[in-house]
Amino acid sequence: MSSLLKVSDLCKSFKQPFGFFGSKEKIAFGPVSFTLEKGETLAVVGESGSGKSALVRTIAGVLTANAGDIYIKGHSIRTLSSQKRCVSVRMIFQDPSSSLNPKMTIGKILNAPIELNTSLDAKQRYQRIIETLKLVGLLPDYLAFYPNMLSSMQKHQVAIARAMILNPDIILVDEILTTLDISLRFKIVNLLLKIQQTKGTSYIFVAHNMHLVKHMSDQIMVLHQGKIVEKGSSEEICDNPQHEQTKYLLLTHQPDYRK
Amino acid sequence: MLINNGFNEDKIQSPLRYIWSIFKSKSIAVVAMWVIVCLILISLFASWLVPHSPLLQDPDKMLLPPYWVDGGSIDHVLGTDDLGRDTLSRLFHGIQYTLGGALLITFFVSIIGMSIGAGAALTKGVKASILHHLLDALLAIPSLLSALILITFFGPSYVNCLLAIALSLLPQFIRASYLAIEQELNKQYIIALQLDGAAKTRLFRYGILPNILEPTTTILNRLFTMAIIEIATLGFLGFGAQLPQTELGSLIANNMELIYLSPWLVAFPGLAIFIIIIIVNVFAEGLRHAVIEGEE
Repeated sequence: MSSLLKVSDLCKSFKQPFGFFGSKEKIAFGPVSFTLEKGETLAVVGESGSGKSALVRTIAGVLTANAGDIYIKGHSIRTLSSQKRCVSVRMIFQDPSSSLNPKMTIGKILNAPIELNTSLDAKQRYQRIIETLKLVGLLPDYLAFYPNMLSSMQKHQVAIARAMILNPDIILVDEILTTLDISLRFKIVNLLLKIQQTKGTSYIFVAHNMHLVKHMSDQIMVLHQGKIVEKGSSEEICDNPQHEQTKYLLLTHQPDYRK
Repeated sequence: MLINNGFNEDKIQSPLRYIWSIFKSKSIAVVAMWVIVCLILISLFASWLVPHSPLLQDPDKMLLPPYWVDGGSIDHVLGTDDLGRDTLSRLFHGIQYTLGGALLITFFVSIIGMSIGAGAALTKGVKASILHHLLDALLAIPSLLSALILITFFGPSYVNCLLAIALSLLPQFIRASYLAIEQELNKQYIIALQLDGAAKTRLFRYGILPNILEPTTTILNRLFTMAIIEIATLGFLGFGAQLPQTELGSLIANNMELIYLSPWLVAFPGLAIFIIIIIVNVFAEGLRHAVIEGEE
């Protein structure tokens, strides 16, 4: 049985203008290889500029990779239609206040992915939206609201609902916890863990806070300048870090160090 | 079912309604809007509103001043010209030609320009470059000059003048709408909608169009103002409306030699052009501020 997500030798580089006419390749990350099983959580950590966001965006399909391949349930992503890809991989953006269209109601925002990717009729779509809102803990009243009427917590809930509405296998989470204060952060973390328990979704997490990462994830992958410097189970990495970067990352979240 | 809203009387306003409610509180802009509505009604129903035919000559009443000046007659509220034709009637028909023409130009140029601009912004590669840079060379020439060049090809007439102005204003509009859409494309909610699998048309209709209201009002206002000025200028230079058509610019030009005998004949069409442009700009600026406040 092939694993849910398999990334092999994925590379991404950007062209930057250099000199008058030339251009220089700037490597964002790669080559990167890893696998993810159903119901698992993989955390991608690293300093800023280490390519974690680019990696997640490439898997989501916002960026296209220069080399390497991504396999979902054994099928290469190049052979999948965009609909199938949408249904199996969804992304939650960093800042929900900019990722929700301010001119559309919550109902329309949630309706768009189902309408575009499934063949459900209007009634079934409405049913699905209500179910998903219940899953993330919102009342159906919010369907008629516009995003600017919601608190930042509720916006996060809507963003999670939009990712969950197609019942995807994998959700990519791009640093959503950094903009929230500490109590809301735990609420969101608990919500995500609850969803994982009920639906068996896999997460790929981009995060800074090593404590939360340790709490949430099964595997940790440390990126440094686009390369994987350390990979392993959470306990292993947190208790017995091998690479200098991992040690630094762990150190910045030591309570004594931050005094 | 409980909801935080203590009084369920607050209705949920759509963004457009909210912008409208802000706009309604700006009294000057609302006045400007009603004046524009009146002007449009005048230009639509000029033939029924005017007291005399604009071409009816009256040899007994030549060069009458407006009625509030000594020697004026209430029959001809704004006086008559050197052939005894009623100034008010000619002015109303002039507004019909100038304002109506500018509205037509704005309508067609905005639709064509917006679709080309959207096509350039939403596609990639050679197609986008062609659409985007096709008319860039024309931007180097002032639009009035390129309108003049075009009209020498088409031959002077009112319809050709509208066509030439529309073509000369098109590159600027394409450029402006392209920039507005291009900026919008980098927003996260557009990327999110793309990841949902939205096609280009849906992306444009639901994602981009509702969010570029503010730049759109600005570029539409500029387009309309430029169109009025250019129609009047071409009319004044004799390339636009031909006799006996009474376009505002050509009215001024025809009466230039009478400026010492009867300055009213030049003053009224000039004032009409001035007022139309001021009023439209006040309205558009009020609308733009309402849109900005509504988006905060």
